Amino acid sequence: MSAEGTALARGAARARRGTLPDRAFHALTLLFALLVLLILSGVVFALISGALPALGEFGFGFLTTQAWNPVTEKFGALAPIYGTLVTSAIAMLIAIPVAFGVALFITELSPNWLKRPLATMIELLAAIPSIIYGIWGLFVLAPFVQQYIQPALIETLGQIPGIGLLFAGPPLGIGVLTAGFILAIMVLPFISSIMREVFETVPAVLKESTYALGATTTEVVWQVVLPYTRLGVVGGILLGLGRALGETMAVTFVIGNSHRIHASILQPGTTISAALANEFTEAVGDLYLSSLIALGLILFAITFIVLALAKLLLLRLDRQAGR
Amino acid sequence: MNSPLARPLASEMGPPGSPTPSTLSPAHRAAATTVRSLRPEPSAGGDPAPVAAPAVKVDIRNVNFFYGQAQALRDISLALYDRRVTAFIGPSGCGKSTLLRILNRIYELYPGQVATGEVLVDGENILAPGLDLNRLRAKIGMVFQKPTPFPMSIYDNITFGIRLYEKLPKAELDDRVESALRRAALWGEVKDKLRQSGLGLSGGQQQRLCIARAIAIEPEILLLDEPASALDPISTQRIEELIAELKTDYCIALVTHNMQQAARSSDYTAFLYLGELIEFDETERIFTHPKVRRTEDYITGRFG
Repeated sequence: MSAEGTALARGAARARRGTLPDRAFHALTLLFALLVLLILSGVVFALISGALPALGEFGFGFLTTQAWNPVTEKFGALAPIYGTLVTSAIAMLIAIPVAFGVALFITELSPNWLKRPLATMIELLAAIPSIIYGIWGLFVLAPFVQQYIQPALIETLGQIPGIGLLFAGPPLGIGVLTAGFILAIMVLPFISSIMREVFETVPAVLKESTYALGATTTEVVWQVVLPYTRLGVVGGILLGLGRALGETMAVTFVIGNSHRIHASILQPGTTISAALANEFTEAVGDLYLSSLIALGLILFAITFIVLALAKLLLLRLDRQAGR
Repeated sequence: MNSPLARPLASEMGPPGSPTPSTLSPAHRAAATTVRSLRPEPSAGGDPAPVAAPAVKVDIRNVNFFYGQAQALRDISLALYDRRVTAFIGPSGCGKSTLLRILNRIYELYPGQVATGEVLVDGENILAPGLDLNRLRAKIGMVFQKPTPFPMSIYDNITFGIRLYEKLPKAELDDRVESALRRAALWGEVKDKLRQSGLGLSGGQQQRLCIARAIAIEPEILLLDEPASALDPISTQRIEELIAELKTDYCIALVTHNMQQAARSSDYTAFLYLGELIEFDETERIFTHPKVRRTEDYITGRFG
């Protein structure tokens, strides 16, 4: 009887002791979580309110005009938007196949002793600060591109009517193409490590049964591994794209910062983030400043859409794997 | 796993060491009749001896196997006969699946796994370096413990293997799919939904789909790695019927944990223990007159 009573009392004491700290902890963590939401909505609000004057002045035309004239206060976002999209596209064009090869080599082909060092080294690429990439790009990569790659491109692809326009003009070294190169190197580790992870989700028995039918590694990869992981692969690519779109410092160093759209990818251009980094300090007029903030808003919208898509795809992959 | 076949035996058996293979207890004789009645097709007329000695299809000679430093198989030698089922039995970790995985060299996918010795398939040593693995695996089909349909339609699951080797017109592919599914006793259940995903089938159906996929490329040898251990009793029975059916055409190696299944489905049985081949004989002998004490202990459920 008494034993039961003390046990009950102990249980009650334990329950009491549990409730107060638990509640406090619950409240605290909730607060932190809400803080993130608050900051995010604060940023969005600041961007929108800051961008309103410019958007009100230029309207929809802000998105479709190239003019960027601080003296006459005529601003259009087309050149930076174009530069952002084109540099990212070039980066993806280079990084996707390379990352794919790296991930495949590490998961399927590499000897065991090489797997870990290789994976670590690729991931170390992500640890290099972007300012370093910028300096390296300006002093090492740009001269190299100017001396070897651009002349070669101009002489070969540049001579073909039509697409030759993309590779026209003098070899300057800096420009849209060089920015694309730098971005490709920078997003490579992100894309390849996600691809590697999703390739590893393919069940070993599934691969074994494909090999057991006599399939070669190439056939296993193209016909089983890729179909099985395609959502995750696309998700990884979109995460990389999200980074490429927003990258600032390295691009600012090598893109040339010219607010004009050239047909040729060898010529200078600008991106949204490069324009922001370069011009905020000298933006004296209210409309100028507002136009820059509007640029930021546009970038935010683009990356938000890309990242949301990536998350969505990865989420669906998790559900598929959990089935 | 306690088999009903084994349980009464274990209780009647004397203390360890007392019965020798030469002195047969009545329990053994009882087991002999049980085994016979369990078999799907009891051979007619009291069969004094098999008609003719079957041809050797796979000759395993002095095979050793290593997972890195650990030796998993020691000096295994045995033969698999054509158009017969050979069961590999033994407790978990004894090396029976490892032995199976040597036969199509699937172990090579993993670095650090090494087999030594010789495995002659139709006289050709398949462990020799420079062997065309894809050709070897076209000749040797494998079915795994867990059903592994590819994430594609039933039709494409079957044609996947065929397309690796042959370019066939659609009509011929259709024929091959139908005959593979018929042979795997699955055609009736799936003929109206060939375009649906193979993942939508039940576990037993998926396993028969995997068998159909393996035989669609017309192999000569089938390796079955506990093909029914993840299935319910009815699906298991269908798989066993299928094995009985398929052995008229193939040399079959069957790894199983289920002693009754080995007794029912196989012609020969190899008992492995701790990486060694303890005993290899006709299934009926293994289950009625085991020569080695340890085999007897295992099949009577005394350990394992």
